[in-house]
Amino acid sequence: MSFLRVQNLLKTFNRVVAVNRLNLEIREGEFFTLLGSSGCGKTTTLRLVGGLEKPDGGEIHLGDKCLVSENKRLFIKPEKRDMGMVFQSYALWPHMTVFENVVYPLKLRGIRGHEAEKKVAEVLGLVGLAGLEERPAPALSGGQQQRVALARALVFSPRVLLLDEPLSNLDAQLREEMRRELKALQRRVKVTVIFVTHDQIEALSLSDRIAIMQTGQLEQVGNPEEVYYRPATPFVRDFLGKTFLLPGKILGIAAEQVKVAIQQFEASPLCIQRTNLSASGNGLSGVGQSVIVAIRPEQIELWVKAPEGKPNMVPANLQSVQFLGDRYEYTVALGSETRVLVSPASRHLKAGEKIYLELKSEGITLWPKDA
Amino acid sequence: MAKTETVRVETVAQRWLPPLDGGTLLMAVLIGFMGFYVLYPLLLILINSFNTATIAEPPVYGLKAWREAFNEPGIWRSLWNSVKIGIALQVVALPTGVFLSWLLARTNIYFANAFEFGFWVSFFLPNLATTFGWMLLLDPSTGLINNWLRSVRFLSGLNFDIYSFWGIIWAHIMANGISTKVMIMTPAFRRMDASMEEASRMSGANSLTTMLRITVPAMTPVIIVVFLLSVIRIFSSFETELLLGVPWGFYVYATKIVDLARQEPPLVNQAAALGSVILLFLVAFIPIQRRLIARRQFTTITGQFKPKIIDLGVWRVPATIFVGFVVFLLDVVPLLSVFGGSFMTRFGFFNLPKTWTMEYWRMALSDPRILQALQNTLIIAVSAATFGAFFFSLVGYVLVRTKLPGRGALDSICWLPSAIPGVLSGLGLLWMFLGTPFFRPFYGTIVLLVIALVLGGVTLSTQILKANFVQLGNELEEASRMSGAGFWRTYFKVVFPLMAQTMVLVAVLKFSFASQNASSIILLATSETRTLSLLALDQIAAGYREVASITVIYITLLTLGVALIARSFGLKVGIRAD
Repeated sequence: MSFLRVQNLLKTFNRVVAVNRLNLEIREGEFFTLLGSSGCGKTTTLRLVGGLEKPDGGEIHLGDKCLVSENKRLFIKPEKRDMGMVFQSYALWPHMTVFENVVYPLKLRGIRGHEAEKKVAEVLGLVGLAGLEERPAPALSGGQQQRVALARALVFSPRVLLLDEPLSNLDAQLREEMRRELKALQRRVKVTVIFVTHDQIEALSLSDRIAIMQTGQLEQVGNPEEVYYRPATPFVRDFLGKTFLLPGKILGIAAEQVKVAIQQFEASPLCIQRTNLSASGNGLSGVGQSVIVAIRPEQIELWVKAPEGKPNMVPANLQSVQFLGDRYEYTVALGSETRVLVSPASRHLKAGEKIYLELKSEGITLWPKDA
Repeated sequence: MAKTETVRVETVAQRWLPPLDGGTLLMAVLIGFMGFYVLYPLLLILINSFNTATIAEPPVYGLKAWREAFNEPGIWRSLWNSVKIGIALQVVALPTGVFLSWLLARTNIYFANAFEFGFWVSFFLPNLATTFGWMLLLDPSTGLINNWLRSVRFLSGLNFDIYSFWGIIWAHIMANGISTKVMIMTPAFRRMDASMEEASRMSGANSLTTMLRITVPAMTPVIIVVFLLSVIRIFSSFETELLLGVPWGFYVYATKIVDLARQEPPLVNQAAALGSVILLFLVAFIPIQRRLIARRQFTTITGQFKPKIIDLGVWRVPATIFVGFVVFLLDVVPLLSVFGGSFMTRFGFFNLPKTWTMEYWRMALSDPRILQALQNTLIIAVSAATFGAFFFSLVGYVLVRTKLPGRGALDSICWLPSAIPGVLSGLGLLWMFLGTPFFRPFYGTIVLLVIALVLGGVTLSTQILKANFVQLGNELEEASRMSGAGFWRTYFKVVFPLMAQTMVLVAVLKFSFASQNASSIILLATSETRTLSLLALDQIAAGYREVASITVIYITLLTLGVALIARSFGLKVGIRAD
């Protein structure tokens, strides 16, 4: 049985459905991410788990304890749920020092004196803030405030740690650093984490599993590789990373491969491995059916001249080249879409030149046209 | 290297010899005018406290006034009484104000917006109206509530005497003691980042602990500002003590000064000595106040948060009833009392053969004294409002937008009047007008009262205008300057139209304050230039309570009425701490 179970969770704000009959199972000790664009209901879900919102329906269980149930008229208040939370704004109390902020949850649990001091010192050491105990909270930098918020949420060894876009207020470099630290910290503390973000890089790099949400519902749950390489729905496919979408028609279906003609440009039909049919691609059956071919830029190799004997070569137009120091960015038009391909090496190409793209067959997925 | 040297020399030279351009001239005029207006009368008070001759006689300097003033125990007692009232009032009103603001802004009580409006109404109700209204109810012998208490079997021993120390405190609480605080603090509480409270809940604290340990402490800066605003007004309080203290010989600072100045022969020099004591207090206190207000240690406002409010659960209805009852006491009770009083043959006597009458209203509508006072009040309030709005917008603009030298000094001068008790500035102006030959012809005219009342709202007006100029952003003006318009053209063609709404707001506030003020003009008015407030005070003192009710209703219509009209036109009439 899962550690944290969310069943049929429903929450509306002024008749707008924010969380729509959501079901989630989160395992003990895992780093679980709710990923989606703003307004998809991910933060509301997190706040429902924390008890900061009351659901209009459904249940949440933690271990063998029911936290909230609309049917049983049961609602455990947030202060009784034993969960730590880091807010997007950090919500450090400005009238307190670092120590006072962090010791607050301990005091409320009757832990005082030497034991409390020891615990605070321990957790501040853990987040790399040892020695800053007496600083007033507003006198810290953004990154430090972030760490204090984390320490405050962890100090009482909560059963679940809730993180609401904790990295979004940091600048890019600091965000990257904190991302690494957060992951290391979670491995050490082994606390169950529910992490809310709209940043797919954060989600992919930190999570054990990711739930991708849209309009209050789950689109897909899986480990980072699964959701990235095997998107279950068109939404997930388009939300994560970048993809070229090319309309085509099935020419033939063999045991291993499907042959698809691309309508927008002159090229020999593409060969697509049958194992790469999308998860929802059961509807792909007939020859002559209209389909969408999807491929990520990183699965495309760039050629100046079409090499002999390679399958899935398509001609394309190079629109611009940019040198970024450690790499080159090639803006390429393929069909009606323009995408950026990245390559470490210079190829002495100029904008406007005709080039050839190798669409690696293992990276191509096939989707029904109407999806 | 040599080049930089020359540049440096040039700047130094410039600093020593400022070019006499328009800007510097404007600044000099503003500082000179405001300085003369604000500082000179105060200086006169200080000087004349060492003058032993009476007003309008050649001065003879000595310490006689000081010696006499402080040999009289009544002076010390009046100072101590002011402090006592200030302390007792704040001990009750500050926690109540904080609690009410918290309920209004952070919890899910019913009708929060309507109640907040109720506190706004209370703020604009003239002190005179609330005090008088409660007088009619809590007079020890004729008060409605006390009469009722006598008729109830088990409560007959109870009698709430408003002519007492705690009666004065009660009247203050009912007047502006709570409403000002709630008006300033509620919006501040509302802007607080809700996630600070949520973080406390997640840490294991319940709503009450969260309020006491997080919400209120995090609001300390605003609470301190509100507290300091109250402290600095301790010695300003006048009407309430005049009505409720003087009848039983209880004097505070302001009533004592008026008492000294109105004795026969007038002891104006002693009054000046008493006045100077507080000047010294303010000189020490104002810089501290300004520094504390300017150094707002932490901002509790963040850009992104949901206004999530606390569910009071079973306490929701009791809390709503509590706030509703406070608003009822603040607004409805004094208004009903004053209104009812104007229709009663003898207030509080329900068993007379003819309990109700229109007689007093008929009298009031034709009484030349009331009409004269109404006319005086309108002239004074309108002039103070228009002149104040125009002039102080210029001051605010110069302070915010220009880099002219001397802005600090001008700003300080603008801060001073808020701290100076109205009676004291009235006394200073009295001296200025009697002691300066040039001004003497104005004595006894209404001009004097206008001048005194324009000063009344300097601080508030410039603060509101400054805040709005800061908000406006200066690109609009810079664009005008770049298009070729000069300072004055830009001011009148761009700034003025953009600021029109704010200036109407300032004018409304000034109108409202001027039409209810008594303390700063009581020493300056004659029976011809008497305003409604002064007339009402005289009527109450003479025992004509029913007629006084009508005068008080007039004042209320001018203050609250005008504020309500402005509000209905969408003006955010109010005060803010930041």
